[in-house]
Amino acid sequence: MSGGEADVVSVEGLAVRYGPRTVLEGVSFQVPRGSVFALLGRNGTGKSSLVRCALGLQKPARGGVRLFGEDAWVSRKRAMGRVGVVPEQPDAPPEMTAGELLAFCAPFYPTWNGTAARDRLERYAVPRGVPFGRLSKGQKGAVMLALALAASPELLVLDDPTLGLDAVARRALYDELIGELADRGTTALVTTHDLDGIEPIADRVAVLHAAQLVVNETLDGLKGRFRRIRCGPSPAPFSWEPFESITAVEKDWGREAVVGNFTEERRAAFMARAGSDNVEVVALSLEEIFLSLAGTAGGLS
Amino acid sequence: MLRIDPRDAVPIWKQIEEGLRRLVGAGSLRPGRPVPSVRDLARELRVNPMTVSKAYQRLADGGVFVVRRGEGTFVAEGPPQLTRAERAKTMREAASRYVSLAATLGVSKDEAAREVAAAWDGTRRGRGEE
Repeated sequence: MSGGEADVVSVEGLAVRYGPRTVLEGVSFQVPRGSVFALLGRNGTGKSSLVRCALGLQKPARGGVRLFGEDAWVSRKRAMGRVGVVPEQPDAPPEMTAGELLAFCAPFYPTWNGTAARDRLERYAVPRGVPFGRLSKGQKGAVMLALALAASPELLVLDDPTLGLDAVARRALYDELIGELADRGTTALVTTHDLDGIEPIADRVAVLHAAQLVVNETLDGLKGRFRRIRCGPSPAPFSWEPFESITAVEKDWGREAVVGNFTEERRAAFMARAGSDNVEVVALSLEEIFLSLAGTAGGLS
Repeated sequence: MLRIDPRDAVPIWKQIEEGLRRLVGAGSLRPGRPVPSVRDLARELRVNPMTVSKAYQRLADGGVFVVRRGEGTFVAEGPPQLTRAERAKTMREAASRYVSLAATLGVSKDEAAREVAAAWDGTRRGRGEE
């Protein structure tokens, strides 16, 4: 494995525009070597544009992305030999079989492991003789994953890899990803809507919302500072302080808020004021945290 | 055997560390026996291997596991070699966490103490030390 850069991907002040529409503005973050970085956001928040910029497929309006320390747009050719990609839409010549695709791609990569790739196709039960265009959605995804991993990549980019997969195929994909992480310490950049699936695997999380990055931290840190707090009837004037509420609602039985700055000290301070038997504090899953962050704009947009 | 809840507020590495500690304490993981490889446990629990590594590392640092180069990771033969101060600190921290939980549930001091005694007896029974 060449290159000792601490950050495999470095997004620096990235802006993407389509005509008058700004999709990303001033987005910066780093994907440290060996991490599993989950990039989250609702549809249309620019995840795929960001991935295209990271892969050198799209020229940013401003800023840029460094892959292994080099500009992805300028040095795409050199960098891509070290990157495995599973695109959002499986894409390969429809008349070629999985076996033919493997044979076709092999010469481009000095690090190609054909045996492992054939083993994977076997494991995924992808029929050898069937043209790519006639495979199921799950099988097409499996072929893309086998191609991406065959080159023993330093960076694996998975763009919504579980989209359209059934529960069995989704589980197989995560199994494969975990095995790859364990065996080779591969760095992974994953965009996904399957928050329950990625939660136990990701170690860093970033959330895109309204063209900007609203979260970029370790998953442990994120989960440590978010809580749902319920408080029974309490005398006016009421305040959530010292908590900062992300969303707060009145209920029949009292009030409820999701707070983003939870600490044990703040819990003690709040309970001293609100009465400890009147307060309930609940941890949130990644999905619930995401909903409170990205769902505030509401609606089906 | 080992259960984790990714949705829990306790970080997964800590759930794994505490779960394995419990299994060693209860004798389900016997002294001197090998523990599952990081890869196998990560796949079984469906978590990031680095998370399992972190738990193993902490257990090795704490003397619960021993790492033998080239052979793998094993349950230590004896209780971890901690200084008296380290042991006291670990126990105090765990007790403080337990008492905080009990207090927020409105559990009395006596009831909390009874639960500790019951858990102690249960663990000993598991080890066949009754």
